[in-house]
Amino acid sequence: MDGLLIALGWVGLFAPTALGAIGSIIGCARAGQAACGAMLDLEGGYGRYVGLSALPSSQIIYGIVVMFSLQRTITVENAPGLFGIGVLAGLALMFSAMYQGACCASAINVSKRKPEIFGLSVAPAAIVEGFAVFAFIFALVLSGDIPPLPASGDMATPVTPLPTP
Amino acid sequence: MALRTYYDLIASLPGLPPRHDVERPPISEVRLRERLQLLDMDDAAVVRQWMDFVHWDRQSLDHTDDDVARAYHRLQQEITNPTLWTLIERRLDTRTLVAALRRRRAGLSPPKGVGQWVEKIRRNYHHPEFQLQGRYPWIGRFDQLIGQGQALAAERMMFEYSYQQVGELQPADPFAFEAVLVYLSRWELIERWTSLDAVAGQQRFETMIKETLGEYTQLFAADPIPVE
Repeated sequence: MDGLLIALGWVGLFAPTALGAIGSIIGCARAGQAACGAMLDLEGGYGRYVGLSALPSSQIIYGIVVMFSLQRTITVENAPGLFGIGVLAGLALMFSAMYQGACCASAINVSKRKPEIFGLSVAPAAIVEGFAVFAFIFALVLSGDIPPLPASGDMATPVTPLPTP
Repeated sequence: MALRTYYDLIASLPGLPPRHDVERPPISEVRLRERLQLLDMDDAAVVRQWMDFVHWDRQSLDHTDDDVARAYHRLQQEITNPTLWTLIERRLDTRTLVAALRRRRAGLSPPKGVGQWVEKIRRNYHHPEFQLQGRYPWIGRFDQLIGQGQALAAERMMFEYSYQQVGELQPADPFAFEAVLVYLSRWELIERWTSLDAVAGQQRFETMIKETLGEYTQLFAADPIPVE
C-alpha cells in the first residue's frame, strides 16, 4: 500500500509537466495547422498567425513551475496531496491548452476572412488562458501546505528524494 | 464514424458569402480540388461520393424517374456519412417538390419522385403547399412565380433557401469534416448559380419542364414563358 501511495506521489509530481506538455502539443498543433492553412489563402501577414499559434505553449511552462513547487521528498504522508494537486493541475493545464488551440485556430480562421477583428477574435483564447493561470496560481498556493518532510519519525516513511536541480 | 478535424484545410478555404447570388465563387474549382488533397483517404472518399452525386444531379435531363429511384436507393445503401446523406436527401426532396409543383400546374398526376415527402405530396396533392409550408415556406411563392413565368426569380428563391438550409448543417466544431461537406455544398450552389445567366436560366427552365413533363412538354411549346 505504501508503495502505491509513493508511486501516486511521483505521478502527481510529474503530472503538471506531462499533462501540460500534452495539452501544449495538441493546442499548438491545432493552431499551427490553421496558421499553415491560412498561409495558403493569404498573400502576406502570416507572422501574427504563427505567433498566435504558439499561445498554447504557456501551459507547459506553468506545468514545469508547478512541478518544481511540488518537488520534495515523497512520503506516505505527502504523496496523496502531491497526487491530487499535481494531477488536477495537470488536467486543467492540458484541457486549457487543447481548447485554447481550438480558440486560436478559430481566431486565425475568422480574422483571415475579416482582418479588422483579429484583436477581438483572440479574446476567447485569452479568457481560456486566464483559467489556466487560476489553476497554476492556486496549485502553487496549495503546494505550500503539503508537508515537505515527515511529520514524525515513527509515522512517516521517507523515500528517495528527487535530486536538487 | 471517425470525427476528424481539418484545421489546415478549413483555414485554407476563403470564406463563403452570406448569400449565393454573387458574381463568382470565392475559390475556383481547380484550387478547391487542390486544397481537398489535405483530406485523409476515408474522408476524400466521402467527398468523392458528394462530387459524383453533384455530377449525376447536373445531368438530370438524361434520367428517367426509374433512374432517379434506382440512384436514390443505391446512394442510400452506399453513403454512410449522415451529413452527406442529409445533404443529398434534401437536394432530392427539393427536386421532388419542384417536380410536383410543375406537374400540378400542368394538370398532371403527382410525380413518382424520391425522398421522404413523396407520400405526403401524394396525399396532399391538391393542397396549395402540400401541407409542407412549415418545412418549406418557399413553396407557395415559388408556385406563384412559376405561374407568372418568372423562372429565374423562382430559381433564385429556391437557391437562396437551399443555401440557408445547407448552412444550418454547419457542425458545432467549425473544423470538423462535416464543415468541409457543408462548405462544398454551399460552394457548389454558388458555382451553379454563377454559371446561370438569363439565357442559361431560360434553358435550364426548359430542361426542368422537359424533365418534369416528359412527353407533355409541347403543352408549353406554343406559349413560351418569358424570363424576367
